Amino acid sequence: MEISRRELFRRSALQVGALGSTCTLSQLLRAEANSGQHSDRSAVFVFLGGGPAHQDTFDLKPEAPAEYRGQFRPIRTSAAGVEICEHLPKLARRADQYAVIRGITHSLADHGLGTRYVMTGNLPTPVISYPMYGCVVSRELPAAADLPSFVSIDRPVEGPGYLGPEFGPLSTGEKPRFGQPFRVRGITLDDTLTLGKYRSRFQLRNDLDTAFDQYEQLDESVRGLDRFSEQAYQIISSTRSREAFDLTLESGQEVDRFGRHDFGQSMLLATRLIEAGVRFVTVLLEGWDTHQDNFNTLGRQLLPDLDQSLSAMMDRLQEAGRMESTAILVTGEFGRTPKVNGNAGRDHWSRAMSSLMLGGSVRGGQVLGATDARAEGPAGSGYTPDDLAASFLQNIGIDPKTEYQASVGRPITLIRNGESIAGLL
Amino acid sequence: MMLLSPVQTFRCPLTASGQQHSLRRLLCCMLFCLVCGSLTVEAQEVQRSVELRFADSVGGEVPDFQRHVSPLLGRVGCNGRNCHGSFQGKGGLRLSLFGYDFQMDLEGLTANAQSRAGKRIDHQRPHQSLILQKPLEQVDHEGGQRFAAGSWQQHLLLRWIAGGAKGTSEPAVLQELQVKPAEIVFAAGDIGVPLRVTAVWSDGEQEDVTPLCRFRTNDDSVATVSEDGVVSTVGPGDTHIITFYDNGILAIPVLRPFSATAGLVNTGGVAAGRAQGPSAEIDRLVMQKLAKLNLPTSPPCSDVEFLRRATLDLTGTLPSPAEVQAFLNDPGEDRRERKVDELMQRPAWAAWWATRLCDFTGCNPAQQAELGQEVSVQWYTWFYERLRQNRPYDEIVSGVVLARSREAGQSWLDYTARMSAAYREQDAAAFSDRETMPHYWTRRSMQKPDAAAQAFAQNFLGIRLQCAECHKHPFAPWTQGDYQEFAQFFETLKFGVAPDARADYQRLASATGVRSNGSDGGPVTPEVLRRARQGDTIPWRELYLTARESPRTVRLLRSRDVVLQGSADPREPIMEWMLEEGNPWFVRAFVNRVWASCFHVGLVDPPDDLNPANPPSNEALLSWLEEYFRKSRMDIRSLQRAIVLSDTWQRSWKPVAGNAEDDRNFSRMIPRRMPAEVIYDSVKQAVAAADRTEEVRTDLDRRATGHLSMRLAGTYAMQVFGKPERAVNCDCERDNKSTLLQTVFLQNDPLVIDRLLESGWLLELQGRDLSAEYPALIQEAWLRTLSRPASVQEQQRALEHLQSAEESIEGLRDLLWALINTKEFLLLH
Repeated sequence: MEISRRELFRRSALQVGALGSTCTLSQLLRAEANSGQHSDRSAVFVFLGGGPAHQDTFDLKPEAPAEYRGQFRPIRTSAAGVEICEHLPKLARRADQYAVIRGITHSLADHGLGTRYVMTGNLPTPVISYPMYGCVVSRELPAAADLPSFVSIDRPVEGPGYLGPEFGPLSTGEKPRFGQPFRVRGITLDDTLTLGKYRSRFQLRNDLDTAFDQYEQLDESVRGLDRFSEQAYQIISSTRSREAFDLTLESGQEVDRFGRHDFGQSMLLATRLIEAGVRFVTVLLEGWDTHQDNFNTLGRQLLPDLDQSLSAMMDRLQEAGRMESTAILVTGEFGRTPKVNGNAGRDHWSRAMSSLMLGGSVRGGQVLGATDARAEGPAGSGYTPDDLAASFLQNIGIDPKTEYQASVGRPITLIRNGESIAGLL
Repeated sequence: MMLLSPVQTFRCPLTASGQQHSLRRLLCCMLFCLVCGSLTVEAQEVQRSVELRFADSVGGEVPDFQRHVSPLLGRVGCNGRNCHGSFQGKGGLRLSLFGYDFQMDLEGLTANAQSRAGKRIDHQRPHQSLILQKPLEQVDHEGGQRFAAGSWQQHLLLRWIAGGAKGTSEPAVLQELQVKPAEIVFAAGDIGVPLRVTAVWSDGEQEDVTPLCRFRTNDDSVATVSEDGVVSTVGPGDTHIITFYDNGILAIPVLRPFSATAGLVNTGGVAAGRAQGPSAEIDRLVMQKLAKLNLPTSPPCSDVEFLRRATLDLTGTLPSPAEVQAFLNDPGEDRRERKVDELMQRPAWAAWWATRLCDFTGCNPAQQAELGQEVSVQWYTWFYERLRQNRPYDEIVSGVVLARSREAGQSWLDYTARMSAAYREQDAAAFSDRETMPHYWTRRSMQKPDAAAQAFAQNFLGIRLQCAECHKHPFAPWTQGDYQEFAQFFETLKFGVAPDARADYQRLASATGVRSNGSDGGPVTPEVLRRARQGDTIPWRELYLTARESPRTVRLLRSRDVVLQGSADPREPIMEWMLEEGNPWFVRAFVNRVWASCFHVGLVDPPDDLNPANPPSNEALLSWLEEYFRKSRMDIRSLQRAIVLSDTWQRSWKPVAGNAEDDRNFSRMIPRRMPAEVIYDSVKQAVAAADRTEEVRTDLDRRATGHLSMRLAGTYAMQVFGKPERAVNCDCERDNKSTLLQTVFLQNDPLVIDRLLESGWLLELQGRDLSAEYPALIQEAWLRTLSRPASVQEQQRALEHLQSAEESIEGLRDLLWALINTKEFLLLH
């Protein structure tokens, strides 16, 4: 491969964060090719969008006055001293596998900003866009050539920010629904297209795309295109990637274990993708923005769904021996007001929230952090979304203090203000 | 270090240190090259360097904190980001990052801190001071040994401590840095060239400060520089070596010609023979630089390449098949010139520039104060109308910078009635008729003065101030003080309800159901807007100025003092300054952006990062463009016309022997990927029915570069192709890199597949035997996508495919799919 010295320099400069600045291009390419074998680390980000009431999920306050504690009772779990909501019985039986993190606190009680904060681990600013964790993983641990590195089930969440669109998620565009064919944006071939037809189109394209022959390596904008085109073809045509997205290959029993609801199907898909070698998957479970009717919404639908599907994912990853290589973070963007409002709801509250962390090297069966008596704020200094982010990345095997050269022209530390939570990993 | 941009002639040091001067920059630079240093200051004796003066541990002269101690700490790395310059400090000692806060640094060094090993500064036993023992590594030091025992560095610090460890009460002003040589031209195999740096202070004192400077190369594949300032050649090309001392930053060009044997080939061009005029001047200045580097130029691009390039770059639109054919049949010598003039008259030209101005100014639906979509479209349309009429750039910018909600003499009631009328379903009053466009200021992201200061500097001046929020800018003269003072200009802008309007506002608010919060008022919701659509007047908040209680004198980005007082508009002095001939940023930032929009790279690149450590690749050219733009009264069309009619812009992308390596001096055109909106519109156009093609190309309401721009913001397609969210102050937000997901998208995204399935063109052809028309249809497919006729081989390959297809229409669909998936389609070349 012919390549200019200047370009070589530029490429190695680009890779400083990942591989150190001294490596040669051939090392780089080898690293890129081998990364699929070097590690099988992967991660799932389950986003409980809308802001789940921390005091009605993983941080119950049975001793608080009625207007604070709400309607739910805590239950004991398989881990001594760990109690969670009564509507999470399956998760309660598996409490030895996860850590409950309480007393996470910040000040952005707005969905957009709060989401941006917990999905990047950096306080949003108008000066720079920070990358979502999945984009960092795409960059640091690219998947094999015939698979996307980062899949966002349903709509795309936060983007790649300063890392650039190269590391953005493949968004499926919709959720898998039980009993309905699932069309994955960009992956599933349209009904009008067979694989054979797609192959013949691709061949035609290759035969016609000759304008830049001999000059493929010359310019940045041209250089990647052939490789990407080939890789896109592999992803779209490969059995592995098609099968990874194909839920009809799951037994009815397995489908039921995860649940026939959308979230169950999404979690099953996420599990399949991880098993196939995708590095990072985001799954959305929305509806937690319970300004009214909090207890019915949570008790009848959201908590049972979460309970069932997350437990199923844990069991399946255990069975497949993949729990140690899969880091999972379950979180919303903020908690909810300590006092129940006039509509049996709770409003936005960012001073306290809870999250679950499991898989990878998480020490399960423990609660880290705490809130005060009425779950109004952290007891003590609490943790920040930055700390949560640092812990999650650490658990995936990425140093949260990794530094990147962003195009804004200054070095940026991945998670500048957070520290991995002590005792978690 | 990230690559800053390529480079050539250096910036006048007077400008670099923020001083005004009357000499034309060009003249200054030329003269300066010749008589480096002797221009400005009466010859005073240059003090010998500290290396010699502090070689001994004792002596009469006591080092100065600002001139010697602080730069030394920078030079040996103490105040770096990973050491004591970090915001947490290191080992209990914190210094200001890059060292320009003399007060803080002195306090840090002289603080009464001590460890078992001793005191940080020990006046009784200076040798025992930790600030000596640590860098000598006589005691444990995480940063290791920074200088040797017995060195001048040790003696300098020692003599400073022995002299009382005094600080700097009134910082001296560095007038300029002089670096010799002023330019280095290497040949392969040359040995290193040492730099000598002289600091000239405003009191006339001069000192050789070479050992106290920090040096950096902007491209270490061209040249490297040692800590001591010895420059060595690495490979052919050109870059700058940057010298930092005190608040001074100076870049000197370093270049090494490409292959010394290959003689320069000037292949001429279409415009060759046109020896005069702005395009010829651009070519002359580009060729001047290419000659220096011994770089040959690629030949002119063909007519089909020209047409596609011009149509895409000027209007963000693919040429139509008919247009390609007409152009190829045009025998006129001046057809390219006529085409450019015609393209610039099209609405799409104004639309594409409106999109760019929206990029530069941050028009983002998610950040609007209310009604994100509607307000963003008004913003866009306000630009669009002015561009369509080719209003001068400064006039357009003034309408943004000096915007207020009420126009001259308007009462609040008139204003709110007028704003409401802009939304009426019948006889709507055009928002774009307004003199000014206040939406720029009313965004949520502009409500804090310091955020407004950052945005303003990036948007209109190409300056990135954000570094100075926390520390002195490492590559520019901006200090935290400069930044804070600039922010004060924006303190009295308020978006809400002005005192004289409160009663009327409240009355209308309760009548229309706006939830108002005192003087802040409340946003117009879609429900309330419905009343305006029906013709009612609804209450709008407004941008106004509050009165300042006491006058304040602040410095305007190191240029001059301005008194802010009463309710005088503080933006006026900024605008006046921007329009002055000597303003170093305003015009330069824009002409550079125009250049960057026509090529793969700005003359300064990144284009919105004008700073002395990031000099232009061709200073003479950038200066000339600036002057031309001023002379032509900031006529955007005229500037872009001059650029695209140059040979430089019309070169082929294909390299010739010897210029393949050039990616910064324009010896050939470098291919770029189509921007997000253009791809979106182009795919649509390529498949459209013949009778709809014109509509798809010109109906701005349906184009991603037009009104659809706002609605598409944030959609998957735009995200994948890097349309900027316009959420941060950086031109880099528009990302034209190629990615895997883009290829996946073009090959198999439902948006593309559905467009092909619903292709109007293919529908028209359905139901008849097409086999006889194959050759013509193949040509049409090529014209629709690649804007050129197919070659014989291509025609043959396509024909094979069509003949083997089960159905003709399906075969043609395959062909369209294949063509929009070629590199040739995706790239501007």
